[in-house]
Amino acid sequence: MRRIISFFKNLLFFDSSDQPERSPEELRSMFRKRYSNFRGLLTANNNALQAMAELEKAYYGGESYRMAFIRSKITTILVNVYKMIRNLLEMSDGRYKDLETIFERIGHDLDEIIEKKQIVSQGEFILPLTEVDRKKKKEAGEKMANLGEVAAIPGLAVPKGFVVTASATRHFLTADHIADINRRLQILEPDDLDGLFKTCEEIRKTIQESPLPSDLEELLQMHYSQLEKATHPGCRVALRSSALGEDSAGISFAGLYRTVLDVERDSLAGAYKEIIASKYGARAIAYRRKRGYRHEDVEMCVGCLAMVDALVSGVTYSKDPGEEESEVIRINALSGIAKGVVDGTRVTDLFLVSREKPHAVVYSEMRQGLDHSADQYATTTSLTYSQIRKLAEAALLLEHHFGQPQDIEWSFDHQGVLHILQSRPMLTSHALETEDTEIPVVLDDTGEKPFLFGGICASAGIACGEVFRVNSTAEMLAFPKGAVLVLEHPLPEWAPLLSQAAAVIAESGSEAGHLATVSREFGIPALFSLNDAMAGLVNGETITVSASARAVYRGCRQDLLRKRPVVKDIMAGSPVQRILTEALQHVTPLNLSDPTSTQFKSSWCETLHDITRFCHEKSVSEMFNFGQKHHFDQGTAKRLVGDVPLEWWVIDLADGFRRGTDDLSKTIRIENIVSVPMLAIWKGISAFPWEGPPPVSMRGFGSIIFQSTMRPELDPAVASALITKNYFLISENFCNLSVRLGYHYAMIEAYISDLLTESYVTFRFKGGAADMRRKAVRARLLGEVLQHFDFRIELRSDSLLARVKKQSTEYLEKRLQILGYLTLHARQLDMVMNRPNAVEQYKEKFLTDIEKMLAQPSTPQVV
Amino acid sequence: MALFEVLIVDDEQEFREMTIKRLNKRDLQCYGAESGEEALELIQMKEIDVVLLDVKMPGMDGIMTLREIKRVKPMIEVVMLTGHASVESGIDGMKLGAFDYLMKPIELEPLVVKLKEAYKQKKAHQEKIEMAQINKHMSMPG
Repeated sequence: MRRIISFFKNLLFFDSSDQPERSPEELRSMFRKRYSNFRGLLTANNNALQAMAELEKAYYGGESYRMAFIRSKITTILVNVYKMIRNLLEMSDGRYKDLETIFERIGHDLDEIIEKKQIVSQGEFILPLTEVDRKKKKEAGEKMANLGEVAAIPGLAVPKGFVVTASATRHFLTADHIADINRRLQILEPDDLDGLFKTCEEIRKTIQESPLPSDLEELLQMHYSQLEKATHPGCRVALRSSALGEDSAGISFAGLYRTVLDVERDSLAGAYKEIIASKYGARAIAYRRKRGYRHEDVEMCVGCLAMVDALVSGVTYSKDPGEEESEVIRINALSGIAKGVVDGTRVTDLFLVSREKPHAVVYSEMRQGLDHSADQYATTTSLTYSQIRKLAEAALLLEHHFGQPQDIEWSFDHQGVLHILQSRPMLTSHALETEDTEIPVVLDDTGEKPFLFGGICASAGIACGEVFRVNSTAEMLAFPKGAVLVLEHPLPEWAPLLSQAAAVIAESGSEAGHLATVSREFGIPALFSLNDAMAGLVNGETITVSASARAVYRGCRQDLLRKRPVVKDIMAGSPVQRILTEALQHVTPLNLSDPTSTQFKSSWCETLHDITRFCHEKSVSEMFNFGQKHHFDQGTAKRLVGDVPLEWWVIDLADGFRRGTDDLSKTIRIENIVSVPMLAIWKGISAFPWEGPPPVSMRGFGSIIFQSTMRPELDPAVASALITKNYFLISENFCNLSVRLGYHYAMIEAYISDLLTESYVTFRFKGGAADMRRKAVRARLLGEVLQHFDFRIELRSDSLLARVKKQSTEYLEKRLQILGYLTLHARQLDMVMNRPNAVEQYKEKFLTDIEKMLAQPSTPQVV
Repeated sequence: MALFEVLIVDDEQEFREMTIKRLNKRDLQCYGAESGEEALELIQMKEIDVVLLDVKMPGMDGIMTLREIKRVKPMIEVVMLTGHASVESGIDGMKLGAFDYLMKPIELEPLVVKLKEAYKQKKAHQEKIEMAQINKHMSMPG
């Protein structure tokens, strides 16, 4: 390309200084070249700004976004800013060349931020649990590091075992494996659940079929033999995931990965691989995406623990999460192993126990007896008082050791020994709890009563949506975004849906299950163990679920929803969010805002936004300077004459004037203009006579004077000649209008073509005199009016961006009329912005005027 | 008759085949290559106007391929294709003379528009060069 560029430079600009007199044809052709650069620059500018807006929207909007999104938007911005620089350099014969250096530097910084690799150190492949503590977290993973700590606390027992470390995982799944896996995942469309499942299954198979390195296999067998010696021959083990990197506040990754129980020597390697593969389970992937984790941010370690011959198992919360201020311990228990508690398939007994000695049971529910599908143990009480006391003491001991309330998984064996299987910080959401207390369980007289009532509040909150029942994978794939998920059992398998559901209801399950934990994390209401939920709820019916009130209402109950707390930022603190925060620093801040300032120089550009602003401004003046520099009288501006308000100048870029128009004339009449977009704008400008500025209120006037003094560029007397005039740059299909009416700066740009993908209308509006609050009010009012006419609006403080794209010519011409009208008449808003009813009045007037204008039959513009 | 000839270079077979099929329906003559090496062979054999080139490929990557295409056949316009290559490779491509960039996944309509733009540019360059040649010959006496 460089060669081609220099070829054109030679062709077009090489000897322009030697031969100032050029034939009109030559000059026209040079002008066309410049015009094409200018057009290219404007298109690139639009693309870059749009991608920046999309990044900011994702960042501030509280939605979740993925690394692929960031990478793609940043690349779009970089490529388009590069195009702008290239176009500007061609237009200016290589002036502003230092932009290239600045751009290189920013591009390099962004690359560093986005492609940053973690530095890892290589350690032992296997560590005995007795050698593991919090300091070994990076090797053993969260869960096993905590369990190692617990093992060292006097009075507490954990199963014997060892940990296969992160170093071992990296030895098994090499960088090539990971690159291949990431490639397969990246090509998936974000909402393609079907494809996700397929790909996950393929990845699982690949991992399962990869042979374990022989040295790792040997070590695994050796440590198992040692475990046999410490327990008994043929000892069965449980293999548990222990992931790394999921330790940020509020992130639990509950139940996303596999646990394999009752593993024998021969199946050790297979079970190990299965847990490693579970990092790429559909649930885990959906979850990481939603929460802003890259796959490389999470590393999988595997704990190998001797099985406990469990009599009764369960989960303890050292502080009941349902009751913020309460001093009770919550215990969910059931006979046998703990799996049924956490995967939500079994109904559990509930005990609320005082945190004070002697730990009296303050409340209990023997739910196991109600579960008809439960086994033989169901009718007996699952825990004895002495067991409860032991559990309470252990919970307080663990809370004390780790310094915060704990979520503990445990089993009692047949000898009565308590084994701690896991202890981790509890997840609570204070904001949700306090807000929810305001929602009355029973409604006032006006509200209709709930039609379903009861169950267990597994995640507090209230939401509304259409019922969608899921009982199979096929139904899962059909789940519509924003629906209320209705389930028979709250199995962890349904977790990927929680990122799309408004709320979740299940016929079984408790607050201790994985699905409950994940619901709390996503901040969506979950109502479990609600009898007859599947039978009572019909697909497609709109309901309002209040998990806190344990009630389901018909319809969308705005009265209840109004009290809903703010949704929390689910990406908060995640690695992906940190990367975007850092990257945005090099992209969006705008330091060059005022073109008349002495700091409006290429050397002051610090961000990509600065560069776009600079290139845009300079490209406009390069266009204006063209005639001057090349003695190109025909190209200079002509004043619009006739019955026109204010002063307007027109520059013809190509074919914007009627054929045969006098090139030498200093003026042009509207009848001689054939630019389609300019005529449309003009129709709007001339539709109603301009009434001039309204009388100013004294306060408003003072503020305007003040601003004019503070910012000389606002004073028309000081501003350069270039920006005080209103310029139309036109061609047959293109129009760019820059307006400085009083204190406003407005720009309309349009390209109208038969190709819908090319056509667009853009309106930018900024500033104006008066204080920031009034400026913002004005921008908002204009935004509202434009929104009414189907513009897409972006509003930030006092600047407004409105767009329509890819529409028919007729449609776009109408939008341009509206913009023409507003450009002229918005000026009247200047002085009345501190009178709210006046603002409303103007809005009404604008809307009425515009409707009237659009209702007129489109008459031929040119006679 | 085909409007112009396009070469799709991507190691992902499914993508390659589907793109060729869809573009053929839009009257573009399309060929496929699964690697940079194969692409370089094809541009010597066929009259390719525009190349659609994936940045991330095993072996000879898109940037290396682009460099070679521009060395051997500078008039061919190249549209780069990326979804998850590093952000700097986008700029590298532009610097080496790529016509433009598209992000994966791509929709058909913008792809066709982009390819047509690239072809238009190629044709314009070609005509300019031919015109310059003619002028040179004309100005030479005899």
